[in-house]
Amino acid sequence: MARPSKRTKSGGERLEPRLRRLDEIVAGLEREDLELEDALALFEEGVGHIRAAREVLERATQRVDQLLEIAASDEGAAP
Amino acid sequence: MSRDRFDFTGEPRRPAPARRRASHADPLAPQPGPTPDEACSVTQLNALVKATLEEMLPPLWVSGEVTGWKRYRGSGHCYFALRDELAQVRAVMFRSDAGRLPTDPEEGMRVRVLAAATLYERRGDFQLVVRQLEAEGGDGLWRLAFERLRGKLDAEGLLAPERKRALPAHPVCVGVVTSPVGAALQDILNILARRAPWTRVVLSPARVQGDGAAAEVAAALGRLDAAGVADVIIVGRGGGSMEDLWAFNEEPVARAIAACTVPVISAVGHETDVTIADLVADLRAPTPSAAAEYAVPDGAELRRGLRLTEERLRGALVSTVAAAREQVEGWNVALEDAVQYRLEAARERLKGSAALLEALSPLAALGRGYAVPRGRDGRVLRSAADFAPGMPFQLRVRDGELPCVRTEEESHGTS
Repeated sequence: MARPSKRTKSGGERLEPRLRRLDEIVAGLEREDLELEDALALFEEGVGHIRAAREVLERATQRVDQLLEIAASDEGAAP
Repeated sequence: MSRDRFDFTGEPRRPAPARRRASHADPLAPQPGPTPDEACSVTQLNALVKATLEEMLPPLWVSGEVTGWKRYRGSGHCYFALRDELAQVRAVMFRSDAGRLPTDPEEGMRVRVLAAATLYERRGDFQLVVRQLEAEGGDGLWRLAFERLRGKLDAEGLLAPERKRALPAHPVCVGVVTSPVGAALQDILNILARRAPWTRVVLSPARVQGDGAAAEVAAALGRLDAAGVADVIIVGRGGGSMEDLWAFNEEPVARAIAACTVPVISAVGHETDVTIADLVADLRAPTPSAAAEYAVPDGAELRRGLRLTEERLRGALVSTVAAAREQVEGWNVALEDAVQYRLEAARERLKGSAALLEALSPLAALGRGYAVPRGRDGRVLRSAADFAPGMPFQLRVRDGELPCVRTEEESHGTS
């Protein structure tokens, strides 16, 4: 079942779109009929995604919140 | 006077512990009714019987079959009879006690009750006031409650396999509903920190056992889902007795899980404990630690994957470049071949033309020893008549031109 992917309330960086795009890029690059310029562009994009994904993984401090605080700050916004 | 303890038409009050009321049952008081003149009232009689009963018979366990069980909606009190092959007795279980039952017993169910024998004075009915009721064979009533709720939810389609949602592969935020002081939370946090420390955790705390635990867990789930921060939710607790885990077999929790807009992983107790929450959840984990493992990817594996992807990217680029170079090389060779071919052809043609030219050239004739005389004006002198005696002319031979003069002597024939 498809879920909304634009949840940003938790404020984190989404890994999933990057990894999905990386898969596409690798598959694209491994195709034979690619123009050199296109291949170079894909490669650079891919390297960028890898770097960004690694940055996410290296943010190594766990953050734990209790919902109470979140609920309190959202109270006013509720209809 | 009328001090009914069990008013079947209204709100029955809980009877006081079996303590006799001196006004009616004082053994030192004169016994009523030995003569017609000392006749006592019905009210007095029932009060006396009730007091006697309660004094003589302390609370005791009674076993029998349940028949005619009825739970009154408004009051919450339950009325039924207990029977065996030969006899039966009326029984009442007040709300405060009946509320602890996981479910109502079935007709004919064999049970054991802890009860006080008493008299319902207004009607003179002998009855048991039941404080505890359990099915014979231990957890029978719990199992019955479980099966009833399972049947109900199943009929609504809430347990259908097609309702199960896939977990997000890379959640940004994991929601957790459990006790803030339980071991389950620590287990979950430890696993999340080890596998995916970049993942944010939001705890929606709830008491997970005791009265009202089911309502708290359900509310905590609702709040967490409404906050919209979590990509996946873990709900559960560590191991315990059947009663400890019972909140996760109650309808409010099941409905709260079903209502969540993101996938829910249940983790209740140990591997062997299966609860209603497990059946409704999108995924059942055998323990809270396992739930945390299901919820997030393993960081080490992710890093390996990224390394592999990087290698594939570089490999693919290298081979693309190599292919392009090969292509250019191919063009180069073809170009050179073409040029060479053209050159060769031109050379051949030139050679042919030169030979032809050679054949036609008057110079060729000169080469063979012929000479061409020309007058002063450059005209070719073709006939003997063109040469007047003493006339100077030029003679063109193979490698130059010579000045000549015709002698005076008359001659004939060629010059």
